[in-house]
Amino acid sequence: MTTISMPQLGETIIEGTILKWLKREGETIERDEPLFEISTDKVDTEVPSPVTGTVSKILVEEGQTVPVGTDLAEISDDGAAGGGGGQATGAAPVGGPTPATEEASSGTAAGVEPPSEAAPAASTASASAESASAVAEGSAAEMPAVEPATPQGAEATATSATAPAPAPSGGSGDLPDRGPRSRILSPLVRRLADEHGLDLSRIEGSGAGGRITKQDVQAAIDSGGAAAAVAAAPAPAEVPAPAPATAPATSPTVAAVQPAVAGPGDEVVPISHIRKLIGQHMLSSLETSARAWTMVEVNIDHLVKLRERAKDAFKAKHGVNLTYLPFVIRATCDALLTHPEVNSELRGDEMVRHRYVNMGIAVSYDAGLIVPVIKGADAMNTVGLARAITDLAGRARAHQLKPDEIQGSTFTITNPGPYGSVASLPIINQPNTGILSLDAIQKRAVVIDDTIAIRSMVNISMSWDHRTIDGEIATRFLARVKQNLETWDFAEDVAI
Amino acid sequence: MTRQAELIRPEGPVPYGPANEAMHRLAERRLAGEIPDTVILLEHPPVFTAGRRARPDELLWSPDELAARGAEVHRIDRGGAFTFHGPGQLVGYPILDLGATPDAAAHLRRMEEVVIRTASEFGVSAHRREDVQTGVWHGDDKVCAIGVRLMRARVTLHGFALNCDPDLSWFDGIVACGLPGHGVTSLSRLAGRPITVPEVAPVLERHLARVFDLSFSEAPFLAQAAAPV
Repeated sequence: MTTISMPQLGETIIEGTILKWLKREGETIERDEPLFEISTDKVDTEVPSPVTGTVSKILVEEGQTVPVGTDLAEISDDGAAGGGGGQATGAAPVGGPTPATEEASSGTAAGVEPPSEAAPAASTASASAESASAVAEGSAAEMPAVEPATPQGAEATATSATAPAPAPSGGSGDLPDRGPRSRILSPLVRRLADEHGLDLSRIEGSGAGGRITKQDVQAAIDSGGAAAAVAAAPAPAEVPAPAPATAPATSPTVAAVQPAVAGPGDEVVPISHIRKLIGQHMLSSLETSARAWTMVEVNIDHLVKLRERAKDAFKAKHGVNLTYLPFVIRATCDALLTHPEVNSELRGDEMVRHRYVNMGIAVSYDAGLIVPVIKGADAMNTVGLARAITDLAGRARAHQLKPDEIQGSTFTITNPGPYGSVASLPIINQPNTGILSLDAIQKRAVVIDDTIAIRSMVNISMSWDHRTIDGEIATRFLARVKQNLETWDFAEDVAI
Repeated sequence: MTRQAELIRPEGPVPYGPANEAMHRLAERRLAGEIPDTVILLEHPPVFTAGRRARPDELLWSPDELAARGAEVHRIDRGGAFTFHGPGQLVGYPILDLGATPDAAAHLRRMEEVVIRTASEFGVSAHRREDVQTGVWHGDDKVCAIGVRLMRARVTLHGFALNCDPDLSWFDGIVACGLPGHGVTSLSRLAGRPITVPEVAPVLERHLARVFDLSFSEAPFLAQAAAPV
């Protein structure tokens, strides 16, 4: 007797619907002959029988949706073939060693080298970013306004580091079901819960292995769980503040969490959700990485002249402003592909080197800071980059970025230059190895061939993680960026 | 390890019926181990296809209207809802053996990756929308629809349809992919200049080979399709 169970068609596919039984009870079936058809949220397939025999029992009716691994049918061996009993799955062994990758928690399947593999979902941050209501007051800066640090991904790292691997089916039976699996949430569930202020830890999951489904969340919303959750949440700003700031520290640990007290002339402003998240990301990045910093000076004179000549025609032809950022991204992408160590991330004891560049660009907006990602930036020309920057920065400020658009960066650039900084020390956008800062372009007196000349100069610096690279690589990398910017002829790029 | 694969690249638009038949026949031969992994890249004349989840009311045009516009309608064996294929759209049917432990989700992610990288070479930053649906998107608009079926839970059927420069008004005829709130766009529209199928095909081929780790040799379309099973 062989038991047929719902096959696993991929790590992230956890359930399937029986569309049709192709054999009825009592009918004989050959090995590899289709037995039933299933439909999952990703693909449909017919599933062949692993053995020759007679369908002795059908356990799940057509139209039913059941988790992967559920017994579906029994096939008796007809006494013909040897071997006898045992558990077989339709096409894929279910209890097999499922790699404990972080993709499970982000809903991303392991691809060959998809960017989404690089950084798991930061959907909490994104959902919040989208849900924030006000629109930016519109800074007039030509380039995306930026701040010298970036949050996305830090949370993702924390999530993936702490999220337990899905338990192999049949394993560790004494663990309550809603343990590991319940931490795996689809983006939809996350967003729904965020929108309604639900505490997901209070919701009982009815999906496979205690996973919380959309229906569970909907039920919680319908039953007023959202209101309850919100009401239950403490509102620090409204808590009366009995202890003045100078109160003797009878309990030192309490001091840190005491509510703020407004003195005369002070204003107490509650911290937004996004502000808190950014703070957590920054702190966790500093705690995680061994940050070091290197700066080079770049003579950008010819580029400044080119841009002055080309910018009006460029705007007329392509409809977007020509800023310096696309040039810097191009020069950086080349250096990243030359020094893949800088375009890498640490995962446990291994270093993942990316052979493509997904460039995160730090954009400040009314709610704080967000890092949209230009996918495949290494393949883009200047026009494409200019368009992508304008599009992503614009939608960031309008709260219209989609979750995938702020995930998967392999490197990040921040651009505080328009505000006048000449050197910045950014915090690394986890799990990247480096973040490059483009500071203000200024005319300076420089020595060229033993004469003093006036040139447009810019400081380009990088915070880098000493866990993955050393100063030599960091400096070679920056020297390459410098060399590219100083020697490449971008005239053809801007097509004038 | 890089696997040998065949690339079939018929000239001119191929009517949906014969193409669908050829795809199924090739998949059966792939399942039997008679041919290597194979990818068909083609264009179709105007056709609406309905997956298993397509609802009749999602086809917005009447049969007369469809006939007047010269579009066929096919109900097919993939999952998903209605979609449109037509001139200006590069359609790919990867017929790949995913093996005994197939990861269908990874297959979808790879197809998305191919399209994202291809789009980036034309200056278009495209993304996944895992919160909405499989496919490749720009914001709320889909630039590439993806739908897959497995044969015997291991060989892939159907694939992706990348809008290069199709007449997007065709999509007015359906609730595309069963998603009323979302739109459809094309590489040309996103890039602000015409980007044609012949321009995109070689770039996409290159990314297909890299992402799926395949080494392509060209194979003729009709000889393959007509070969006995």
